[in-house]
Amino acid sequence: MANGKVQIANVVHEPRTPNPEPQNRQSAIANRQSPTSEFAPGIDVTIAGVRFQNPVLTASGTFGYGQEFANIIDLNRLGGICVKGISADPMPGNPPPRIYETESGMLNAIGLQNVGAKRFLQEKLPFLRTLKARCVVNVFGYSTEDYVRCLETLNTGDGIDAYELNISCPNTRCGGIVYGSDPKLTEEVVTASKRAARFPLFVKLSPNVTDITVFARAAQEGGADALTLVNTFVGMAIDVETRTPRISNVTAGLSGPAIKPLALRLVHQAARAVHIPIIGIGGIASPEDALEFLIAGACAVQVGTANFYAPDTPIRVAEGIEDYCRRQRIHLDQLVGSLKLPLSDPSRVAEH
Amino acid sequence: MLDAIVTVVENRPLSGGHFVLSVRSPCQAQAARPGQFAMIRLLGHADVLLRRPMSIYDVRPGRNGNQAQPEPQVLDFLYKVVGRGTALMATLKPGDRVGLLAPLGHGFFAEDYLAEARGGDEVLHVAGGIGIAALLLPARELAAAGVKQRLFFGGRTHADLVGVDEFSPYVSETALATEDGSLGHHGYVTAPLSSYLEAQPGKRLLILACGPWAMLEATVSLARRYGQRCLVSMENRMGCALGVCLGCSIRVQGEGHGSYERVCTEGPVFWSEHVVWGEERLPKT
Repeated sequence: MANGKVQIANVVHEPRTPNPEPQNRQSAIANRQSPTSEFAPGIDVTIAGVRFQNPVLTASGTFGYGQEFANIIDLNRLGGICVKGISADPMPGNPPPRIYETESGMLNAIGLQNVGAKRFLQEKLPFLRTLKARCVVNVFGYSTEDYVRCLETLNTGDGIDAYELNISCPNTRCGGIVYGSDPKLTEEVVTASKRAARFPLFVKLSPNVTDITVFARAAQEGGADALTLVNTFVGMAIDVETRTPRISNVTAGLSGPAIKPLALRLVHQAARAVHIPIIGIGGIASPEDALEFLIAGACAVQVGTANFYAPDTPIRVAEGIEDYCRRQRIHLDQLVGSLKLPLSDPSRVAEH
Repeated sequence: MLDAIVTVVENRPLSGGHFVLSVRSPCQAQAARPGQFAMIRLLGHADVLLRRPMSIYDVRPGRNGNQAQPEPQVLDFLYKVVGRGTALMATLKPGDRVGLLAPLGHGFFAEDYLAEARGGDEVLHVAGGIGIAALLLPARELAAAGVKQRLFFGGRTHADLVGVDEFSPYVSETALATEDGSLGHHGYVTAPLSSYLEAQPGKRLLILACGPWAMLEATVSLARRYGQRCLVSMENRMGCALGVCLGCSIRVQGEGHGSYERVCTEGPVFWSEHVVWGEERLPKT
């Protein structure tokens, strides 16, 4: 790849006519004065056969099961919804305190409290499948058997578009992160899960590793259809008055704008190490944040912590990406991985 | 529940670093019920991300130009400066804008407290510090229903006992307590509460309590000892208040999945016997 651009296999964009019919004629006519108005950029993206109407998804654990936001934002304008991590059996979660706000970020150690796969299918999925937003089910377990058992239960569900394998939660004892911090185990659990999964399998990686490319390749070897990068960074905060940890779990996952540069670097590196699509996540709160991830090589993004304080963020981000593409007169696929690196940068040589 | 950008009409300083923030939002003011809360978002401060949970202290009529509006127009929030968020809140001026997600949570009404209160002899409000903010609206509603009420109000020092004048029209008696002895009983508010409960054998009382975890725990233990029912309004750190982050969960009776409930969604008001006391302490919010 002499130009430094990474070829994203598995990502297919809808074929387009050079000058497609504008969706909203009124606004197209109103904007005709502007030289860029007639260009309608395609911002849909197809990952492992699943078409998302725009490249913005809500991150697991920050958007419940979707319905909680139904009265606040138009869920049909989202690209996709990654639901709260589901395990084969219900999980109670960690004792409080579970969250703490830090500068431009927040620590959480929820402990994957969830309703379990069976109740998810009965109570949550029927609503999710009525939406235009794609339903990505985040799956979590304590052992390879747990992951497989959870997937087998979920496989019977109608309306799931893809799975996101969580091998990176930092907040449960001997939980997913064991898999996410050993490349052999990563490959093992991904291989077993891929074999069990009826729907495409995305794998969400931990940033708490020395070399992300090792884990990205291990997941790819295991048969991952795409990667989600990254989960939270392990962090901590202490109450100096009482000299106690701010979070009962002592350590916790850091999210929010504070981690964006760290996550972006990992997406940039992983995008140059694998050929499967990458979904970028980490502190995205604005269209510009998302554009950085797309340019670095992510073909889609997830909005997480921002959903807590500004639930309109994913829609604003999708609109902003479309505006940018219109202004630049490019389609989304032309933006993905379009980072212009200095000639001297060693990562210009793709490590496939 | 509505997510809106609203305008500050007043940010009135009280004693001891307390303030009453007043914002204009007729829809949210008219929808609010006793015991509900709101999430306030400070705009333009990228380092303070999360919204702050605040009890809806009061809702009151306002003016639209020269015209008096009989329906509630304004929401009041009583707060104390304790950290970065509240320090920034204290700098808000009339005309400033804040994000307001409100009203939230099951207030006292969801527990049919009116029926419980009417069926009893007296309602005892037990407040610690800014915990009083959760009790003014129920006190007004109970007074309108003709229920006899009494206030037990404690703080570290006299400057913490804010809002007594606003509360007093609705109660027959007020007992104050300060840890430093600067006003009322010298010690915790649970001491006068204990004496009062001791002197009321055979009476059917309903306790409504809001304040720090230790005060709630002591109040609940007294209620149990004297066989009285108690509703607690819980405080906790919150990420979203929409029921999705699960950051505000507290331990409640029950096994497995049922052993945690969200303060924002299942609460903030709980029957005291439903909450598991003693095991964990919530952070000071």
